[in-house]
Amino acid sequence: MNSAHDLGGMDGLGPIDYEMDEPVFHAEWERRIFALTVAMGFYGAWNIDTSRHARERTPAAEYLASSYYEIWLSGLEKLLDETGLLTRAEIDARTTALRAEAR
Amino acid sequence: MPALKAKDALALLRKGGSARAKAEGPAKFAPGDRVAVRNMNPRGHTRAPRYIRCKTGTIDRDHGVFVFPDSHAHGKGSCPQHVYSVRFTARDVWGDDASSRDAIYIDLWDDYLTPV
Repeated sequence: MNSAHDLGGMDGLGPIDYEMDEPVFHAEWERRIFALTVAMGFYGAWNIDTSRHARERTPAAEYLASSYYEIWLSGLEKLLDETGLLTRAEIDARTTALRAEAR
Repeated sequence: MPALKAKDALALLRKGGSARAKAEGPAKFAPGDRVAVRNMNPRGHTRAPRYIRCKTGTIDRDHGVFVFPDSHAHGKGSCPQHVYSVRFTARDVWGDDASSRDAIYIDLWDDYLTPV
């Protein structure tokens, strides 16, 4: 798939921004998304190549504006919805409910 | 795919999951062979980057036999085949503006390559 993940040779992205002593996870939610993705991989509904392709299918503009684990989250949500394990509608309903609780 | 049991998860996390396949298929190419990357633009998953398609390089080494991601990602089987480290000169990839001293090595599956 000729999508935004395939960046080799593209200009205009700027220099790679090295972070000294970079933590493995910049925030707790990143750690959880990594763990959730690995755990769901163990569930056996998809293989690692399928999960990579799910991340690659993040729409180009969204992909380029996303951080690494935001892309992992996007991929995981796509796989959960496509396998019927957790639909987009269920995720949206839960997000709406959590936002309402937070106010 | 059956779900992994919790007791086996820790062992797998420590060991890592390898994509190496047990099947032994014939290698189409050998180190030293000149190869061209096919003109391919699959709508699905591939590990052949766009910038290397239609470029010519030299087989540097044979890594052995691995699962083929292009088929595996879409539930079409593991289609095990040889993966090579292929050397491309910078000028073969980017043209005359590139340094004459640089080269890039890319791991490419058998199905991506044609003989030159």
